[in-house]
Amino acid sequence: MSFLKFVPKRYLSNDAIKPMLTNRNPRNLERMRIGYKPDGYHLENDVRNYWHKLNLDVSARYVSASVHHFKNGEVLSASTKEWAIKKQLYRNNDAAAFKNLGRVLAQRCMETGLTELHSDIETKNPDGKVALFLNALQESGITLKEPIQYKKPRAWDQERPEKSWEIQ
Amino acid sequence: MAATIWKLVNLNTKLNPSLGGSVRYGHHLRGKPPGVARSLEQRLEELNFKDPEIHYKVNIGFAKKQLKRNAVLSERITILKDNHRNQDLEKKARTNKLEIDLDNVRKEWLKTAGPEHIKRIANHYGIFDDLYGDAYFHPTVPLHINYEIGDGQLPIYYGNVVKPSDAKVKPKISFESDENTFWTLIMTNPDGHLTMENKEYVHWFVGNIPGNKVESGETIVDYMQPIPPKGSGYHRHIFVLYKQEKKLDFEQLKKSGPCLTLSERTFSTLDFYRERQDDLTPAGLVFFQSDWDATLTDFYHDVLNMKEPRYEYDFPETYVKPQEWFPLRQAFNLYMDRYRDPKQINKEFLKRKLQKVHPFKAPEKPVPYPNAVPWNGYVPSWLKLEKTKSMNKWGRVNDIE
Repeated sequence: MSFLKFVPKRYLSNDAIKPMLTNRNPRNLERMRIGYKPDGYHLENDVRNYWHKLNLDVSARYVSASVHHFKNGEVLSASTKEWAIKKQLYRNNDAAAFKNLGRVLAQRCMETGLTELHSDIETKNPDGKVALFLNALQESGITLKEPIQYKKPRAWDQERPEKSWEIQ
Repeated sequence: MAATIWKLVNLNTKLNPSLGGSVRYGHHLRGKPPGVARSLEQRLEELNFKDPEIHYKVNIGFAKKQLKRNAVLSERITILKDNHRNQDLEKKARTNKLEIDLDNVRKEWLKTAGPEHIKRIANHYGIFDDLYGDAYFHPTVPLHINYEIGDGQLPIYYGNVVKPSDAKVKPKISFESDENTFWTLIMTNPDGHLTMENKEYVHWFVGNIPGNKVESGETIVDYMQPIPPKGSGYHRHIFVLYKQEKKLDFEQLKKSGPCLTLSERTFSTLDFYRERQDDLTPAGLVFFQSDWDATLTDFYHDVLNMKEPRYEYDFPETYVKPQEWFPLRQAFNLYMDRYRDPKQINKEFLKRKLQKVHPFKAPEKPVPYPNAVPWNGYVPSWLKLEKTKSMNKWGRVNDIE
């Protein structure tokens, strides 16, 4: 084995890699927009084609907001019930509470890398509390619309959709 | 009587089909009726059911700090009452100008609901499954990690995206601890092992950290920046902070120098933890996601001395129905193309394209309104379609462009 001495070590070490790599990150494909997104149930009130969905729950005293994943259920939440938020509020369900809840949830979404959410929340009044909540989220950098899933085109399909992961 | 009438009608239709030739066979339900049959949701739930007696998780961390209600209640009530008396706060709230301090919210959250929330989001990112298998822990010790970029700081939380160019230098670490305790900090990437499956790369390993002075700890494996290869997507880079019961000997795992041979950085958190579970308890957790950027090409070439690996997602093959001898109601050219070798088809497209290419002349200008060009003479409909497709860049033409 002495002849190996003449081969610089650097050519032996890192270059031998396997042709297949498995990325185990369960959120990776969803971020790359090629992960499975549920479809169907078009006639139902609750839309199901989303990866992450924004929910708002208004009770008589408190407001809670959460992010749901289609498979894992609730993954993020913020509520005026929490002492951390309640401590600084005047009331737990007034307009200021809605707005600040939006800010807190947006911060948590940014911290967890979930920046694009599907939202079905309707704002009946453009100046109302719910609109304040949604505006606060958007101002903090959350997009309230999810991109569509990339599906590999068949050879005879008319269009070739853009590959989102190749755009830098 | 009814039977005879039926016969009569049948006879009539046979004699003269134009009177009403169609026959009704009745409506048949296949399978159970909708109320009785299980829905897809129920069937999937049954398929994916996991027996809690077999698939349970073990808590390997410290117990969550439970705030006792009696201890905090009186304090909280006074704060709330003060808030209600605070006219300034009321005015702000009523004029919609109240903006609460988000840093304070975060601090308080880490003391109360934080550990549970972090555990939930870490579960969502599959952290515990991939590091510990059937175990989990609550991150009871808040871990603050900041990358320094330029003048600013880039903190790491629970899954935010950090580009490799921002994580070139090892980050600043802070956490609260007693001076007489020892800690271990490990940064691993479970998603990007280039040679082995279900293994991790250890990017940084500091053991025997006295108190919270990471600089005085024993560097077992030196820091290496994230190296997610192109096309492989977002890799999780996980920092786990362990509390040690005593000073430990990591001599076996120690790698000297910058350790740029990737195979030497192979690591398995599960094996590491199993061996030392009596002396180590996971206490802190943060992680970020990182994907390829242009600075990595140089890093692969100059520092790691290797070709830059590039990957592409391996999509499942398109299903094509088995070919039939007599396909009915199918366009002959489109149907036959479906079963030909795609390479051969692309070759034909390329040939047709190259026929028009001249080495010294500029390429022909594209027609501004391709659909308004008149057909000269007789063109069969299938050829019209093919020409329209190539003019508009529809379909298979895109595979060679």
